[in-house]
Amino acid sequence: MAAAMNGVFQKSLQENIKKCKLLMVGAGGIGCELLKNLVLTGFNDIELIDLDTIDVSNLNRQFLFRKEHVGKSKAEVAKESAQRFNPSANIVAHHSSIFNSEFGLDFFKQFTIVLNALDNRAARNHVNRMCLAADVPLVESGTAGYLGQVTVIKKGLTECYECQPKPTQKTFPGCTIRNTPSEPIHCVVWAKHLFNQLFGENDPDEDVSPDTEDPELAAEAGKAALAADANSDAIGGITRKSTRAWALETDYNAHKIFNKLFRDDIKYLLSMETLWRKRRPPQPLDYDNLPGKGETVNSSVMRDQRVWSVQECADVFTQCLEALKADLAARGEEGILIWDKDDQHAMDFVACVANIRAHVFGIPLQSRFGIKSMAGNIIPAIATTNAIIAGVIVMESLKILAGNISKCKQVYLNRVPNNRKRLLVPCVLDLPNPKCYVCSAKPECTVVLNTTKTTVRAFQDKVLKGHLNMIAPDVEIDDGKGTIIISSEEGETEENNDKFLSDFAIGNNTRLKCDDFLQNYNLNITVAHVEKLDEEKEFEVVGDLSDFHPKESTSTTAANGGDDADDLILMESEDTAVTETTQTGRKRLAEPHDDDDGQLVKKKRLLDVGGSGDVVEIS
Amino acid sequence: MEDITEDEAALYDRQIRLWGLDAQRRLRAATVLIIGLKGLGAEVAKNIILSGVKAVTLMDHNPVDEEDRMSQFFVSGAAIGQNRAEASAPQAQLLNPMVTVTTDTGNPDEKDENYFTQFDVICATCCPPSLQTKLDKLCFQHNIKFFSGDVFGFYGFTFTDLGTHDYLHEEVKKAPAKGKEENKSKEDEEKSKASEEVVITKEQMVFGRLEDALTFDWSADTPEMKRKIRQTPTSFFITKVYEEFLQQHGRRPSTFTLEADTKELQNLRIQVLNKLGVPAKVVPEDFYLYGFGELSPVCAIVGGVLGQEIITAVSQKGAPLNNFFLYNGVNDEAMVDTIVP
Repeated sequence: MAAAMNGVFQKSLQENIKKCKLLMVGAGGIGCELLKNLVLTGFNDIELIDLDTIDVSNLNRQFLFRKEHVGKSKAEVAKESAQRFNPSANIVAHHSSIFNSEFGLDFFKQFTIVLNALDNRAARNHVNRMCLAADVPLVESGTAGYLGQVTVIKKGLTECYECQPKPTQKTFPGCTIRNTPSEPIHCVVWAKHLFNQLFGENDPDEDVSPDTEDPELAAEAGKAALAADANSDAIGGITRKSTRAWALETDYNAHKIFNKLFRDDIKYLLSMETLWRKRRPPQPLDYDNLPGKGETVNSSVMRDQRVWSVQECADVFTQCLEALKADLAARGEEGILIWDKDDQHAMDFVACVANIRAHVFGIPLQSRFGIKSMAGNIIPAIATTNAIIAGVIVMESLKILAGNISKCKQVYLNRVPNNRKRLLVPCVLDLPNPKCYVCSAKPECTVVLNTTKTTVRAFQDKVLKGHLNMIAPDVEIDDGKGTIIISSEEGETEENNDKFLSDFAIGNNTRLKCDDFLQNYNLNITVAHVEKLDEEKEFEVVGDLSDFHPKESTSTTAANGGDDADDLILMESEDTAVTETTQTGRKRLAEPHDDDDGQLVKKKRLLDVGGSGDVVEIS
Repeated sequence: MEDITEDEAALYDRQIRLWGLDAQRRLRAATVLIIGLKGLGAEVAKNIILSGVKAVTLMDHNPVDEEDRMSQFFVSGAAIGQNRAEASAPQAQLLNPMVTVTTDTGNPDEKDENYFTQFDVICATCCPPSLQTKLDKLCFQHNIKFFSGDVFGFYGFTFTDLGTHDYLHEEVKKAPAKGKEENKSKEDEEKSKASEEVVITKEQMVFGRLEDALTFDWSADTPEMKRKIRQTPTSFFITKVYEEFLQQHGRRPSTFTLEADTKELQNLRIQVLNKLGVPAKVVPEDFYLYGFGELSPVCAIVGGVLGQEIITAVSQKGAPLNNFFLYNGVNDEAMVDTIVP
C-alpha cells in the first residue's frame, strides 16, 4: 500500500490518504479497476454501493469477478476480491440502490470524496445532487469503447453534472416507426413496441398499427375517410387499444398474428398512396409463402452472427410467441413481461420481428448480434479503457487530498493523440452555470405545457421525476394558501393524480414550490401555459420563457430503459487548436498547458448513444 | 483460423462489439511474453489475459518484495520472497481460463536468441535500457512485435516497435450531399445521415528502433532543436534518469534507501542531461520527490495504454501509437511522441 510507505507521497498527502473516507458508487467496469487502485494506493476506509449482479458478459473486463461469481452481488464480490490486496483495508459493501433513502444526506456527509463509477444518467444526477447538498467533492467518470472521461465536481467551484443540459435520448417520429421505416433501427424500435403491445405494459405512445394521422397525409382530403376506415375494422385490422386483447383471443396464434402484422397492415399502409409516391412501397408477406422456405440453415456460422432468412425469422417468431405466451401466463392474471435483451425469447422475438419488417420495407436485414446492440443500447466496453480511466480518477482524487482541487482537470481519453500529442487531454474545469436549476443558489426553471391537458400524475412522473430527476417530490402551489398537490407521503395526494393542473387553478405564470427531501433539493417552477407544443411533445423545460423556442421535434423513444450500457458515459473529446463553437453556442477555453502559445479551445458536444440513461457527453 | 465458439462470443461480447470478430480471432492466436511482473507488468498481463490472447508467459527472475504491495495485485503480502512470476501465475490464470498462462523464472539477459522466437509479442518491463535495446533489435530481426515500458512513482513510459506494421483503418465518411442545401427536406437529411458509411483502408506504419531514440543527440544549438526539446514531453527525460539508475545499479530506487537514492538521482539528473545535451531545466530539480515506488493508478494508466497497444498491434485494427507514450502524473502529461522516426 503506497501510503503505508514513506517517500512515495508528500507527508501531508500520505496522512490524508490514510484518514480519507471514500464512497464508490458502482462496482462494474470502472469500479473494479478503481477499487484495486484505491486499495493498493493505501485508502483503507471505503464504502461501495452497487445494485447489480454479475453477468457473464462482464467477465472480459470486470476482473474482480469470475465465472463462479455470476449472479452474485457485484459490491460483495468486488469487496471480497479487493480485500485480498490488503486484508486490513476496511471495505463496506452495499448491495443496494443509491436511490435508497438509507443513503441520505447524513450518509453522504461522512465522506471526504465521492467517486462515481456509474453507467446511467439518473444515478449520476442523483449522486450529483447528494454531493452538492452534502458539499462533498465528487469525481465523475465514464467510458465508451476506446473513449473515456473524468471530471471533478465541487459545489460553488465547478460546473455540476447538471449545469449543462444533456441531450435527450434519440427518438424517431411515430409515423416513421409505424408507417415509413427506412433504417434497421426503425424496425428494431417497432419490434420492441410490438413486444410491449403483446406482452408488456400497454403504452399508447408505442402503437404499432398504421398511423392515419401521419402529417404526410394531412394534406389529403381523404384523411378523414382514412381515419374512419381505420376504426371500422374493415381490413381485418384491430383498433388501437386491442392489439393485446386480439392476440389473446387468437391464443397468440403465430399464423394469424403474422398475417395481420406483415400482410394485412402492410396492405393497409399501401392504401395510403401518398406515402409511397417517393418511396419504395412495402411488400406484404404471407406466412405460408416466405422467402427462404425449404432452404437448409447454414449452421456453420454462429446463430447470433448469421443473418436469418425470412422463413427462419418466421419460425423463430412462432417459437417465441409460444414461449412468451407461457412466460406471460406464468405471471398470473395482471402480469406483464418486461423486455430484456438478455432474455433469450424476448431478444429472439425482437430480432426476428425487426428483420421480417425490414424485409417488408426493403431494409437490409441484420444479425441477432447487431440487433441486440441496437435494441439493448449496448455500449462496447473494454478492460484497458476502464483501467486508464480508473487510474485518472485516483490521480484527480490525489490532487483533491493534497489540497489542490483548483488543479483538478476534466480529462478526456482519446483513441489517437490530438494535434498537441496528447492522448489524455486535460481541460480546465468550468465555473458553475449561474442559471443551473440544480446547483445555483435559488434553483428555478420554467415548464411549458398545456395545463388543461396535463394531469398531476403526468406532471410528477414525466416532468419532475422523468426530466428534472427528482426522486420523491413534494409540490405546493405558491398561491398564498400553500395548496399541496403532490406529497411524497404515500396516500396523501393520490386523489389528485388524475386531475388536470388547471383543476387546481394552475395556469400561465403559476409558481410551484417543489421540494425533494431526500436530495435536499428545492426548485421553484414557473408554469407557462401553451395550447399546443411541437408534435407529440407534452412539455418542455427551459431556464426562463425567453429560452423557449418551439421547433420541430420528434417522439417515440428509440429504446426502452436499456440500463446496460455497461460502463458509462459522459464523454469523448477532441480538442483542436482552432476555435470551435459548441452546439450550445458557447465557446470554451482550455488552459494552455504547453509552453507554446497554445490557444486551446475545447469543443463540447453531446453524443447520444441512444440509451435512456446512457448518454455520451463528448467534449 | 478457427471460428470463435459460443462461449467465447458470450465472454468477449462487449469487446467484439468494439473491434469485431476478425480482431478477436487474431487475438486468440497470439502468444505473448511479459518480462517483469511488478505493478506495470501485472496490469499488462491482466489486460491482455482478459482480452483473450492464446497464451501468456510471465517471466521474472526476482522475488516479490515489500514495495510490490503498492501495485502488484496478483500477489499478496504472504508471497514476499517467492519468485514474482510464479507467485503471480495462479491469480493471473483465474482471470481467464481460456488463456494458457505459463511462467519462466529465468533471467531474460541470459536467455539465448532462439528462446524469444517462440513469441508473437514481447513486452519488457523493469528492464534496463541495455536489455530493452537488445531485445528490440532481436525482435526486429525476427519480426516479433516489441514493447517496453516502466513506471517510477508518478512517472511512466511505454515504447513500441512493430517494424513495418500493416493495419486496417476505419473512418466514418459522409456521402457527399445531393441537391441544394435550401431545398433539403427533413427526409433528405435523414437520408444523408443514413448514407454515412464506414470506409476501411489498408495502412502501413514504419517504426524506428529504441536505440536510435535513446542515443539521439539533442545538443545542436539551433532553433529547431530548442523547439524539439521544448515540445518533447518532460517524462521522456525524467524516465531516462530512472532508467540510468536501473542500468548503473541493477535495481530501482527504493523507499528503503530513500536518502542515498535521492542523492544518486540528483547526480544522475545532471549526468544524464549533460550526456544527452539538453539543458538541466527540462527535468525539474524536485523531480525525485515523485519517483519512488510504483503508484497503482499510474500503473493502471500506463499499463492500460500498453495493454491496448498490444491488442491494437495483434488485431491489426487501428493505428498504433508511434512510438513513445509518456506519462507524468505531476503535471497531467499523457502524450505520444516519436523521438526518432
